[in-house]
Amino acid sequence: MAQSNSKTVVMELRGISKNYSGVPALTNVSLEVKAGEVHALLGENGAGKSTLMNVASGTIAPSTGDLLVHGTRYVALTPALASSLGIAIVHQHPAVLKDLTVLENLQVSLPRSIFKGRASDKIATELLERVGLKISLKLRVEDLTIAQKHLLEIAKALATTPKILVLDEPTAALGQDSVKLLFDLIAKEIANGTAIIYITHRLAEVRELAQVVTVLRDGKLMSTSNINEITDAGLLAQIIGRELKSTFPAKHVKAAGATPNLVVKGLTGKGFNDVSIEAYPGQIIGIAGIVGNGQSEFLKALSGQTDFTGTIEINGEAKNARSLNGKAALMPADRQREGVMMRMSVRENSALASLKKFKNLGLLSRKKEVDSVHETLTSLSIKAPGLEAPVSALSGGNQQKVVMARALLSDPVMILADEPTQGVDVGARSELYDILRKASAEGIPVVVASSDAKELEGLCDTVYVFSRGQVVQVLRDKDNREDAMIEAAVTSTIKAIRIERKEREEKLGNESFLEKFRRFLKGDYAPAVMLGIVMVALAGLIMTKTDTYFSDFNMQSILLLVSALGFVAMGQTTVMMTGGIDLSTGPLIGFLVVIASFFINDGSPMTSIALGLVTMAVVAVVVGLVNSALIRFVKFTAIAATLTTYIAIGGFAFILRPQPDGYISGDVSNILNSAIGPIPNVFIALIVAAVLMETLLRKTRWGWRLRAVGSNEEAARKVGVQVTRSIIGAYAVSSLFVFLGSILLMVQLGVGDASQGVTYTLTGITAVVLGGTSLTGGRGTYIGTFMGAILLIQVLNATVFLNLDQTWQYLLQAILILAAAVVYGVARNRKSSE
Amino acid sequence: MAQRSAAGLSKGSRFQVSKGMLTVLASTIVLFALSTVLAPSSVKPETLNGMLPFASILAIVGLGQMLVIQQAGIDLSVAGSMSLAAVIVTVNPGGDNAKLIPALLMSFGIAILIGGLNGILVGFLKLNPIIATLGTNSLLYGLVMAISHGIPRQTTPRLEAIVTSSPLGVPNTVLFAVAALLLVIFFLRNTVAGRRFESIGSSPAVASISGLRVRTHLALAYVWGQLLYTLAGVLIAGVISSPNGSMGDAYLLPSVAVVVLGGTSLLGGRGLPTATVIAAVFLSQLDQFVLALGVNFAIRTLVQAAALAIGVAIYTVDWARVRTIIQKLPGSSNRGQNQASLPSA
Repeated sequence: MAQSNSKTVVMELRGISKNYSGVPALTNVSLEVKAGEVHALLGENGAGKSTLMNVASGTIAPSTGDLLVHGTRYVALTPALASSLGIAIVHQHPAVLKDLTVLENLQVSLPRSIFKGRASDKIATELLERVGLKISLKLRVEDLTIAQKHLLEIAKALATTPKILVLDEPTAALGQDSVKLLFDLIAKEIANGTAIIYITHRLAEVRELAQVVTVLRDGKLMSTSNINEITDAGLLAQIIGRELKSTFPAKHVKAAGATPNLVVKGLTGKGFNDVSIEAYPGQIIGIAGIVGNGQSEFLKALSGQTDFTGTIEINGEAKNARSLNGKAALMPADRQREGVMMRMSVRENSALASLKKFKNLGLLSRKKEVDSVHETLTSLSIKAPGLEAPVSALSGGNQQKVVMARALLSDPVMILADEPTQGVDVGARSELYDILRKASAEGIPVVVASSDAKELEGLCDTVYVFSRGQVVQVLRDKDNREDAMIEAAVTSTIKAIRIERKEREEKLGNESFLEKFRRFLKGDYAPAVMLGIVMVALAGLIMTKTDTYFSDFNMQSILLLVSALGFVAMGQTTVMMTGGIDLSTGPLIGFLVVIASFFINDGSPMTSIALGLVTMAVVAVVVGLVNSALIRFVKFTAIAATLTTYIAIGGFAFILRPQPDGYISGDVSNILNSAIGPIPNVFIALIVAAVLMETLLRKTRWGWRLRAVGSNEEAARKVGVQVTRSIIGAYAVSSLFVFLGSILLMVQLGVGDASQGVTYTLTGITAVVLGGTSLTGGRGTYIGTFMGAILLIQVLNATVFLNLDQTWQYLLQAILILAAAVVYGVARNRKSSE
Repeated sequence: MAQRSAAGLSKGSRFQVSKGMLTVLASTIVLFALSTVLAPSSVKPETLNGMLPFASILAIVGLGQMLVIQQAGIDLSVAGSMSLAAVIVTVNPGGDNAKLIPALLMSFGIAILIGGLNGILVGFLKLNPIIATLGTNSLLYGLVMAISHGIPRQTTPRLEAIVTSSPLGVPNTVLFAVAALLLVIFFLRNTVAGRRFESIGSSPAVASISGLRVRTHLALAYVWGQLLYTLAGVLIAGVISSPNGSMGDAYLLPSVAVVVLGGTSLLGGRGLPTATVIAAVFLSQLDQFVLALGVNFAIRTLVQAAALAIGVAIYTVDWARVRTIIQKLPGSSNRGQNQASLPSA
């Protein structure tokens, strides 16, 4: 093996600095990575580890400094360049696509060359076996456990046989057996001469794996040393000891004989397990630990947002989720998304949870509201242009004060602050600490979760250290020190509790009928099967009333109608696969017929007919390009974009044909209406198209990319899909299918009529919906759409045979749509909420 | 603790003018100015009196659609709902004034039921609003056919009198639109429910963390919408003396267009009722203006499309970026200055 020169430097980061609008995230950091070596990267949250690795993998360009990879100098890398240099990264949050199967995830993310030569599923199975993942390749990724998703992500990285592999906290979500397997894999990679950068918070893992360890603190390099030349205490000393910049209020002195005002016993919920805490009036409770170890979930449960088992007592009163929701004020960590309503005003944001207080004779009193909000915000010394300024105009610290004001105004039974000072400047930090201390002094229990141990040491009276959802250490009074917290967090050896997989496996063998049915409903082809059953049943019903139903004439007329609709609906399916919608299909089909009415008439020469068809196709593609350009480049929503073209196309159609005119060639009609027995040739073409598209969707890169984009645009981009190109392609394909449909509609109408066609927009969407394609993107089938189109036309036709009037045409359509939507929708929603 | 004085925190004025409002108001004023100069016939009192009832009806429908769109939804059942209301108040009384009130009650009762159905489907069963309202739209058209059997009837004289008379100098339809607008504004700005409603549209995540009943308000949006479409449907039955069963179709897309033009985002958020109503007047007058210029229907449609495209682009395009791009075009070659500068050494 490559042992002889295992100490070759494969990558060198030299003097890397990175500033974000003047704030340094990294300052002059240099790192050497050698082949056949595990280089551990240690540091607190925000120490700059991930930023450094983003520089190494090409997602971030450094402000200064450069990189040497295999001896070549680069000022910055791009993700594509990094991957061609053999650099692979396993993200902390796996970039997997939930609507695609395991196999498809591998196929869309990995280069074609990996699947060359042998059957794809064989190769994929081998890739998964390497990481010990024994699951069906056909399983949809959303059905995987978090640990399985991580293993899939690792499998993807290893598949490219990287020269340099970056692992960002790979064990955070893994169970014990998987961790062992991962370590074995790392050993194997090392033996093969791969260089590995291993980001972690756990000293135990560093000891077990690494040869070299680098510590970062505050974006600066503290040291790089061989693992056997440094003690745990030495490492700890370098990780901690951030400079303290804020001042903290005085701590609480517990009164003798006080009774606790918050008692939590054995609290268990999603992400945390058997947590017990206790607080006395005036105390601030801290929750410490590495980010993502259940702290946020615990606070959410305390605020009544999620269900839990165990008990919560506030001032001796038992509380459940229902009685806490809206009463226990939560200041969420994700301020941008959950904390403030960006486009609403400071006043509206502050008053949100206390509107009922400002009522006067049943109505909101603006005066009461403004006065009250103004008073509170002033007491928090907020800096804002005014009460009516949008909250987005405020700095992070002042936004946090707005959240704080909302909490205080709502007269909360408890205040829960999750990372209250993240993104807050130093001055405002001290003020926020004062506010929390003051609230606590008034007897309201205050719980603060923070990844900043220094902050918890300064602010809190008692700190509970979390690791993997459990309390591993309680630090009171003098023991409440930063080093104790970090030590407890990084030396913890608790492994993630993974009971879900076992439960799932047990469930799979022992499902009730209802569960089996639900699992069937979740499958891609369930809608098509159900529609088939309804069709047969409906046909059977009609046959009892009439014997002309299966006559050649009736079959032909039904199937001709199906064909035009089917093509339009297949186009719509393509767009919906990306999560978009194309409202312009109806006007477009009418417009194309209008164009045809100028070229394809009785006696037109072949050249004219050919020219007509070419013109129609070109116009269709142009419409598709306009739609997608409005969406991708001018940032219209899909509805606004295609609504605009919808109206415009109607205008163009009336310019060309103010009155119906231009009779379509009878010869062309005869050719298109030709049939083999009861089956029109064009219907056979539709079947071929549906099967072809379905195959493309499942078996080709085009199809995987299309669904990847609809499933999760961000993750799709991370695995290398060109999102804009996929979406432009989808709208062009949609319009081309409308073109095919227009050839058939042209025969049915027989004349260029600008007022025809618009109904195809909604009937097309209806067919797609019946076929089970999801409007949110990522999943669906062309076969389902095909079946949906048939059933829709069949129902309209059936009313004639069953002597039902137009009322029933509408009612049956309504029943079909709503039944389909509820059955498919509920099956899927149940899934995603599990 | 408050070392720094915050005495400067201004309470702000009571009335805030949004960007959407400014844009659409300015456009409408320009349009009327152009109409006066270029096509005086389009601003004659008779023409305006002909245009205003339809503008008012569009405004009312638009308000309903706005309440749904601000919850990040969309309501396709506008068409069926308006048609059904128009049919019920004409067919059921069959010209008999005495039967008008029961017909009205029935219309609004159905509106609540259908809105509730939409709300349950979207709010609680989490169905896509396009699918759910597409389904209920069919349901409504089924009812239209069941009641009318496809035969239009004459409007009752009383309804026609109430809707078309203009005791205050403007057609009564305008008064209905103004009343609907004031009601919506009042609801959104002056009631607890309305303020919560608006916050939920703006950010369901924040509202949910604050303990608000997100799903209920989301569902109710569809009920409020239905009530307004039904009012519009009743008015159209008064304006057009024998409405057929598909009156509402012509209002579906314009209802979305006026909301978008008024600056309410299709992704949800704050609703701009006044701007929506002005946008309805704008679109209607645009129609009259282009008509008075003597161009045909086709051109009118294209002008509408252009207005919509420009109206949306005002909000979606990052104009600051466009300006920097334009500045960077040949002539000024100071490129790359706002990039994270890379060392060239």
